[in-house]
Amino acid sequence: MAKWGMVIDLDKCTGCQACTTACAMENNTLPGESWQDVLYYNEGEYPSAQMKWLPRPCMQCEDPSCVHVCPTRATYKDPDAGGIVFVDWNKCIGCKYCMIACPYGVRFYADEQPLIEPDMRDVYPGENGQMWSPPYQNPEQDWRRGIGIQPKGVVSKCTFCYHKVSKAPEGVPDLDEDDPELVEYVPACVRTCPPKARYFGDLDNPESNVNRIIGDKHGVRLLDHTGNRPQVYYLGAGAGVPAFSPRNS
Amino acid sequence: MSDNNVMKGGLGTGLLILSAAVMVATFGYVIFQLNTVGHAAFNVSSKLPWGQPISTYLYFALASSGLGLIASLPLVFGFKQYYGIAKRAIFLAFIILISGMAVLALELGHTFRMLWAIPFNMQIQSAMFWMGVFYAADLLFLLWKFQKMEAGDWDSKNTKIIGIASFLGVLLASGNLALIFGMMSMRPFWFDGSLPIYFYLTAVTSGMAALVFFSYLAYGFDRSKMPQKLQNALNNGLPKLFAAVLGLTILFVAVRAITGLYTNNPEVYHVWADYLFASPVYILSLLLGLLVPFALMMSRNLRVNPQVQVLVSVLTFGGLFAERYFFVVGGQVIPLFQGTWAWNMIQYTPSATEWALTIMGSAMIFTLYVLGEKFFNLSAVPEQLEEAAEAEAKATA
Repeated sequence: MAKWGMVIDLDKCTGCQACTTACAMENNTLPGESWQDVLYYNEGEYPSAQMKWLPRPCMQCEDPSCVHVCPTRATYKDPDAGGIVFVDWNKCIGCKYCMIACPYGVRFYADEQPLIEPDMRDVYPGENGQMWSPPYQNPEQDWRRGIGIQPKGVVSKCTFCYHKVSKAPEGVPDLDEDDPELVEYVPACVRTCPPKARYFGDLDNPESNVNRIIGDKHGVRLLDHTGNRPQVYYLGAGAGVPAFSPRNS
Repeated sequence: MSDNNVMKGGLGTGLLILSAAVMVATFGYVIFQLNTVGHAAFNVSSKLPWGQPISTYLYFALASSGLGLIASLPLVFGFKQYYGIAKRAIFLAFIILISGMAVLALELGHTFRMLWAIPFNMQIQSAMFWMGVFYAADLLFLLWKFQKMEAGDWDSKNTKIIGIASFLGVLLASGNLALIFGMMSMRPFWFDGSLPIYFYLTAVTSGMAALVFFSYLAYGFDRSKMPQKLQNALNNGLPKLFAAVLGLTILFVAVRAITGLYTNNPEVYHVWADYLFASPVYILSLLLGLLVPFALMMSRNLRVNPQVQVLVSVLTFGGLFAERYFFVVGGQVIPLFQGTWAWNMIQYTPSATEWALTIMGSAMIFTLYVLGEKFFNLSAVPEQLEEAAEAEAKATA
């Protein structure tokens, strides 16, 4: 079975947020519930200040702390699904401990104060147990894997677009959007990336392009000291975690 | 047996009606908010998921554990001078834990799902799974021990075994509760292997404050009306113990603060420098909630004074509530990533619904407490000890 991994080349990424938009549209997430986001930050001070950005999906860690802390096994890593970490919305009790334990801040509890007004949950009230029901919805739904629009009181997260990836032919080393036969199975953020800064493939397959570029270009993982060992690798300058510096503004 | 307990009379009934009314009103408000607004009625967010309801639960759970540990002094370790406080301590531990669990239940996204999802999935890697196991065991042993005391069985072999089991249950429950926070390497403000010790200490301190306050409340804040054994405890050993645990709590806070202010780690340093010590409420809680009570209890004359004891217990109760709040929120105020939406520290102030939950839990404690005082003799001691105490009182009179 494949072990799906993603590579994000920061030298190519332009911070255009197309991935963020594609993810939100594909998965019908609420404003603020950014399963995939690009974080902008400054580094250094004038005259050598730089503006930087960091695209940040769920890392689908190999040893995920969110899975260890969940008291109900609602969040679990599925080796048969390429090692993707899912949330079973039928089991989640909404204790939010996984959100505390995730070093990457990529888990969301959407039953909270709206980020923008009007509140989309009021504009499109939820039907069929969903928290909200926008006019267009992705027809794919699997609550045991946290796919679809979540109900109230549960935690949601990126699924590496498992509803697409799971339909790929078995044994393919990479899901490349340039391959017409595979393009439909590529995760939305990878498929939409204009500068092709994202790659998606099987980390267990020595033939895969993701393995090759991680090796050739020295791919790194974020916050490796927490022991989570992400299945998302970063390439290029600036592949690090922006340091916190409080501002008085 | 003393019949000076004012909770058994009209005063108790008045307090019962008042606290029950507050409990029902706040519960109704919280339920209404949860049904209409949902958890958006809380001011927590995906960036700061645990707010005041969690800190309230933590406060109550640890106060309960503290009371359990205090009760184990006579019941497990044989300090007979503390027999007069044991039954009330056990009862308070039980009702405070129940109240804490009620607050936690309303904070969860799915309260009832928890009842089957936790036991049926057996996720033994999760500290929160063990929190459920240990606190359920704690609750069971407290009830069992209380039932034994109520039946007049204080010293049989079985009672002693239950006492020891309960003591171990309390240690495991509160120690494990500490590790829920202490094992989070990604939250450096909490990441601390010595956290269980800190929790034991502060648990006993808040438990002591509860015990002293509620003991006085039962007798209209008049120590001369208390049974002899209870008076003895409040006159001799207990105030010294209170002073000691207050001192150790201050020491532990100081050690954590000094380490935190010395470190370069921004996730620890900024919490201490720019969140905790930048907050007048936190500084006030340290001064009025811990340092002033400690200073008062260090004075040989003042620490036995009933008014001072009540004042110290109220101040400590408030001080440790703030301590728990700042501990829980402080671990989350530094965003995991600096970037979009999170340039600065994450702001959080509890909403009206979250305050209502805290008030509901507190009102529940008062309601159950008055019922306990009305229906049980919480100052009871083993019969032979009671006779000995009466004889001693007569001899000294």
